[in-house]
Amino acid sequence: MSASLLSVRDLRVGFATEGGLVQAVDGASFELAAGEVLAIVGESGSGKSVTAGTIMGLTRGANTRIDGSVALDGRELLDADEEELRRIRGARIAMIFQDPMTSFNPVYRIGAQVVEAIRAHRPQVGREEARGRAVELLGVVGIPDPERRVDRYPHEFSGGMRQRAMIAMALALEPEILIADEPTTALDVTIQAQILELLREINRERGLATILITHDLGVVAEIADRVLVMHEGRIVERGSLDDVFYAPRDDYTRKLLGAVVRLDRAGPLRPARSSAPLLEVTDLVKHFPVRKGLLFDREVDRVRAVDGVSFSVAPGETLGLVGESGSGKSTLARAVLQLLAPTSGSVRFEGREIAGFSRRQMQPLRAEMQLIFQDPYASLNPRRRIGQIVGEPLRLHDRASGAELRSQVGELLERVGLAPEHYHRFPHEFSGGQRQRIGIARALALRPKLIVADEPVSALDVSIRAQILALLSELQEEFGLTYVFVAHDIGVVRQVSDRIAVMHEGKIVEQGPADQVCERPADPYTQALLAAVPVPDPRESRARRSSSAS
Amino acid sequence: MAGRSPWYLAYRRLRRNRVALGFSGLFVAIVVFVGAAPLWANHVAGTGPNATHTTEKVEVDGESREVVNREGRPIGPLWLGAGGKFFLGADGRLGRDEMVRLMYGGRISLFVGFLSTLIAIVLATTLGLLAGYYRGWADTVISRSLDVIWAFPVTLLAIALGLALATGGLQVGPLDLSSNSLWIPILIIAFVYTPYMARPIRGEVLALREKEFVEAAVSQGAGPLRVMFGELLPNLGSTLIVFFTLGVAQNMLLESMLSFLGVGVQAPNTSWGTMIGEGFELISTAPLLTVIPGTMILLTVLAINIVGDGLRDALDPKSKVRIEARTGISESQGTAV
Amino acid sequence: MARFAVRRLAGAAVVMFAISLIVFAIFNVIPSSDPAVSLAGKNATPALIAGITEEWGLDESLPRQYVTMMEKIFGGDLISYEGREDVDERILEGVPATFSLCIGAAAIWMFFGILFGYLSAVRSGGLLDRALTIVAVTGISIPVFWLAAIFLNYLTYKTQLFPSGTYVPFTESPFEWASHLFLPWVTLAITYIGIYSRVLRSNMLDAMKEDYVRTARAKGLSERHVMTRHVLRNSLAPIVTLFGLDFGVLLGGAIVVEGVFNLDGIGLYTFESLINQDLPPVMAVVIFGAFFIVLFNALVDIAYAYLDPRVKLGESAQ
Repeated sequence: MSASLLSVRDLRVGFATEGGLVQAVDGASFELAAGEVLAIVGESGSGKSVTAGTIMGLTRGANTRIDGSVALDGRELLDADEEELRRIRGARIAMIFQDPMTSFNPVYRIGAQVVEAIRAHRPQVGREEARGRAVELLGVVGIPDPERRVDRYPHEFSGGMRQRAMIAMALALEPEILIADEPTTALDVTIQAQILELLREINRERGLATILITHDLGVVAEIADRVLVMHEGRIVERGSLDDVFYAPRDDYTRKLLGAVVRLDRAGPLRPARSSAPLLEVTDLVKHFPVRKGLLFDREVDRVRAVDGVSFSVAPGETLGLVGESGSGKSTLARAVLQLLAPTSGSVRFEGREIAGFSRRQMQPLRAEMQLIFQDPYASLNPRRRIGQIVGEPLRLHDRASGAELRSQVGELLERVGLAPEHYHRFPHEFSGGQRQRIGIARALALRPKLIVADEPVSALDVSIRAQILALLSELQEEFGLTYVFVAHDIGVVRQVSDRIAVMHEGKIVEQGPADQVCERPADPYTQALLAAVPVPDPRESRARRSSSAS
Repeated sequence: MAGRSPWYLAYRRLRRNRVALGFSGLFVAIVVFVGAAPLWANHVAGTGPNATHTTEKVEVDGESREVVNREGRPIGPLWLGAGGKFFLGADGRLGRDEMVRLMYGGRISLFVGFLSTLIAIVLATTLGLLAGYYRGWADTVISRSLDVIWAFPVTLLAIALGLALATGGLQVGPLDLSSNSLWIPILIIAFVYTPYMARPIRGEVLALREKEFVEAAVSQGAGPLRVMFGELLPNLGSTLIVFFTLGVAQNMLLESMLSFLGVGVQAPNTSWGTMIGEGFELISTAPLLTVIPGTMILLTVLAINIVGDGLRDALDPKSKVRIEARTGISESQGTAV
Repeated sequence: MARFAVRRLAGAAVVMFAISLIVFAIFNVIPSSDPAVSLAGKNATPALIAGITEEWGLDESLPRQYVTMMEKIFGGDLISYEGREDVDERILEGVPATFSLCIGAAAIWMFFGILFGYLSAVRSGGLLDRALTIVAVTGISIPVFWLAAIFLNYLTYKTQLFPSGTYVPFTESPFEWASHLFLPWVTLAITYIGIYSRVLRSNMLDAMKEDYVRTARAKGLSERHVMTRHVLRNSLAPIVTLFGLDFGVLLGGAIVVEGVFNLDGIGLYTFESLINQDLPPVMAVVIFGAFFIVLFNALVDIAYAYLDPRVKLGESAQ
């Protein structure tokens, strides 16, 4: 085997926490050859980020125990002193992170932060020269008008541009290895495609060895040469891209691949429904005024979050609402439920007009329509027991009390896959997936007719996602529920929806049966969206790229 | 099977903080000390905090000594020399028993400190909840009013109010307070302290309000009262506890300064602050009259501050995240199931 | 930017107006006794009281009373019946001493507060951190006036280590000026060093967890560079705001410190007036002091907005 650039042997990293020793990495060994792209895939808690951070020496601390070996070109890094590590960081190994907004210091200009990186390693380089280099780098990563942009502050850049700037900063000293920790997770799918393209280009043109950390198998298929799968601190699978995807040897890998939602797989067919719509939305508008003024705030502009939207949902069906960030889908969901007062338009529930209803008028209707939230950590009151949380809607609507209430809550908990004895536990004692189940139990308590699910699986691990989606599906069958499923991931949406509506900048640009929208999109935006979704299938992915290149 | 509530976890963390526990012991000792005031006064010193003994004499080791001598110099600490009478000596020309005054004064200092902070917290929480929950018009009115009071330098405002009410007394509607009522300093301090706490509480309410569990409650049909008291208030609990504790410390210092200047606690009531004010006149001849009450304030406030810090560390969930401080790489996923 | 400044100053003007109303209410409206009696002070005679009632328009409507009061205070027409002197004049005379005291103390506490806070944060958890924390917490718990009295007695009277007596103007003798102010400076600074070092420490510890600090380390910047140019830089902003607020409490501290050390400034004048329950000087000091603080805070906010690019550009970006 040719001399590898980076060699990791038997790496063990443990952290001393309040609850005892947490072994984040439990014996990881791998090699990185010059010029190759190595993807490390895993869910949360797999240890992939800690491994990457330890290579750079960023995990060192009083509470950390690190054993094993990490060798760069033969030189051992784990026992190197701080000064030596400092010289390597940025210059030989560079790292980019997930959230470009918080990864830049907000009070310094972008250019200044790039210059800072350059001069930390090459103090002899003058300011002017370093600035020139920064401009050049911004151009290389595809930022238009770099001469002017270099003097702007981070918050003046869009998400995608910021990540490009991060990459530029990482390239400044021409490192041999680039570590990218979830570089596209916080970006919209169309931007993600661009950034991945950029990373591919950099790898090709500069022969820059890249370690890509991600949980998204679609991203892996787009860019990796070799793959490592990590689970609970250990590497459970390794091999070339095709080997891992088409001939996995480990159970966990198989499970992961099985759970991945593929856009090109159709969801289960359901009989077409043709009864009176349960929910009918016509020309719904929600604008937010922007106020400015010298002494008194006057409205100077409006944010047109929802700009004239119409759709309907039949009883028992699932409507998928897809859109990227800023498309207005979350605002739409809340305006429909009257959690936000619509600016204008009509919302009919079971034939009744409810747009503009006051809190009091909505009160009895609340039992008919419920919401499932995205963030399993913020959607449950941390100071209350889960039994109380699930039982609250029943109490509010006087449906039950005392022992009857407890028994109903127990049933609900069981129905979503939790043990009724956990009634007394607090949210922090459960995992993300379990908390989402609690949220579902809460939404189900009043036997609503309509459930709006706002990104219900986006914050969950891939393998848990499949379970939650299956649960939602079962419940729909059993209780005759109607869903409006809001998400940014069109693959997930396709799997669960009968019909899909695509939102962009406050308007619905396309809607129709799921299969039709996904396979024969009519609108250019929908087409671009679908094209940008990474396919977790290496052969497909290569085919697409070569056909679009020719 | 009961779950482990966030309060319980905080309690466990606090238990491990030996420094905080030690100082809370000190605080308890001080409370016991001032609580014993009537016992000491009646059974040991045989006199009250305001009884003067200018022309009297006291038996010390068989010798008869004047409580206040011809030059106006008060007797120094006798310790147990006279069976506990004038344990710490006499307090100046009026010849009152310093120890008895110290104990009674402590009661007043603690009482004013606690009550004023309690009133302020209740007011601040109510205003913060209303302003943060309703926003809009209610928020503007409440916030602007609080802003004005808050912009007024705290000490100047307290001094102005103290002076005005000390000379004039207060008659507002059914409320009739004479100029030496203890309620005047209590209400003044509560009044100036409320905006100081209402602002951060309002800020926290605004932040909590955006959390999804609040939206969940609203989407289930919960009304404003339910949301404010069922969802928001329990999550403010730790902040309120910390604010209260540190607030008592602050307010005891404020009261003592006002009393020192003569615009706080008024005669015939005594507080440690008034004692320092009186002792200051005799600072070169009888320095203990200044040193001792001041030391008591220092010890009490120090103990409360340290316990308050300990509470903040115990209640603040960030204490777990502190371990990540140097690494920046998340490791807490060890609990994922 | 200019828009922000105008708004802020306009806001300050509104607040100042409200404050003047409050002061008026405090002295003339709220107390249940006759304001004329309170104003007259200890040497009140019926004739004096009647004279005051007329001069201040106390038998007229409330709005008229308010206007009269403001005219007297801002017109330089205010007289203390007790001390028989012009209040505004005496306040002006006291400015140099109070100014020297406050600025000097502020310089000391800012320097040591930031230094101790920085050291505590960089070596957090260590022995130095613990020692500095003890010093800080003790500093916060000491009553300022008491500390002044203790210093006065033990370091000035008893041991003659520091000179006693009044304020010596800088122009007369810089050395004397400093040595007479030294103990007062330390007394005032101790509390704030405690507060500031803890606030800075806390802010820095929070900043150290931020993502951009991780990026800075990953770029290969030295630890010192990371701590000063990233962590400290981003933690200082709240300190600046805090300083604006604390200046207000500082005035209160100045009253007792000047009073105890007998420094001839505005504080001493207030101190004596309070002991004598002489209202007019206190009214004037309270209004002028409050106005000064409000204006000072508005200027601090404007300066802060100028420095923080997010606020500066908030209106032009998008």
